[in-house]
Amino acid sequence: MGDKFKVAQPWLTLFARLILGGVLLVAGGLKIGNLQKSAMAVRAYELLPVSLANFLGYTLPWIEIGVGLLLIAGALVRISGLIGAVTMLAFIIAIGQAWARGLSIDCGCFGGGGAIDPEDTKYLSEIIRDLGLLILGIYLYFYPKGRFGLDK
Amino acid sequence: MATNNGGDKGTRNLVIVMVSFIVVVGVVFSLISNRSSSTAAIPASVSADDGYGIVLNPNSKPTIDVYIDYQCPVCKTFEILNGGYLNEVIAQKKAKVVFHPMTFIGPESILAANAAACAADENEFVGMNLAIFQDQSATENSGKWQGDALLNIGKSIGINSAKFEKCIKDGNYVKWTGNVAAASAQANVNGTPTIFVNGKELDRNTQYGDPVKFREALAAGGVK
Repeated sequence: MGDKFKVAQPWLTLFARLILGGVLLVAGGLKIGNLQKSAMAVRAYELLPVSLANFLGYTLPWIEIGVGLLLIAGALVRISGLIGAVTMLAFIIAIGQAWARGLSIDCGCFGGGGAIDPEDTKYLSEIIRDLGLLILGIYLYFYPKGRFGLDK
Repeated sequence: MATNNGGDKGTRNLVIVMVSFIVVVGVVFSLISNRSSSTAAIPASVSADDGYGIVLNPNSKPTIDVYIDYQCPVCKTFEILNGGYLNEVIAQKKAKVVFHPMTFIGPESILAANAAACAADENEFVGMNLAIFQDQSATENSGKWQGDALLNIGKSIGINSAKFEKCIKDGNYVKWTGNVAAASAQANVNGTPTIFVNGKELDRNTQYGDPVKFREALAAGGVK
């Protein structure tokens, strides 16, 4: 097991970097074209004070893009993986509380967002996806060194 | 692999600097461009105190705030179901009604909101509001409202002034739509349509899609 993991680990790190980084880059990129909607999506969680929710709506897409680019390039992988994991944990908590409180919102993960019809919500699949990405982020925090990365 | 550490390190640092630069510039630009502009031209019937909305019957009570996006299909449905009654309320001065044309669906929402504001300056907002919704495209930002389309909608309901034509062609109130968006964000409006009666939000699951319940909700808010 140990030897096999030693061989696989750098490739798993590359895999985790590309998936988590790619998802963050796409998620951020889809939002920057419509930041009004992005702010609306954050507000719809009814979790934060309105002014803070709007601030996050305007800024979070750029953070996602930044972390996504760093992960794909393989620079600052340990800290980028940690930021990615913390972000995913925050998303899971936000979606979970929206679900528990019976809000009907779109997660706004890839653009979109805001209030929607109750039958159109898909909280479970959103949480499972973010859970998977959270695991990738945690893995990168512990095993940041991988193939084809700029970090040495 | 480890023979060229210096060059690799330089590339790595360059990437980090570039990415940080993109993030900082993006954040600053986004925060600035989503703030309300104090220099934006605003229509005569617009009040900054009412969230930069277009105000009809400023001295009547109660106050009904209507947040819509001209490209939102549910808003069109709302207009078809309840617009007639709402317009009756406006015509009989039974309430102060404030329209907030939001623009989160994109560029053609901005064009439509601008045209509605131009019509408000001609005292034709109510007719233009309905006419724009009736002309709504089935797909978002389809190009349908580019060019002279909105001008022609205005003409079709009898707005022929040169001022209106210039207002639409110059996009007089395009900047103002940013103010409406910023104020709507502060008002915590997270979807359209959203209607408040005296600051109390109606229930989107029951009171928008049923004209009887909508009328009851307005009556409960003090519309006689």
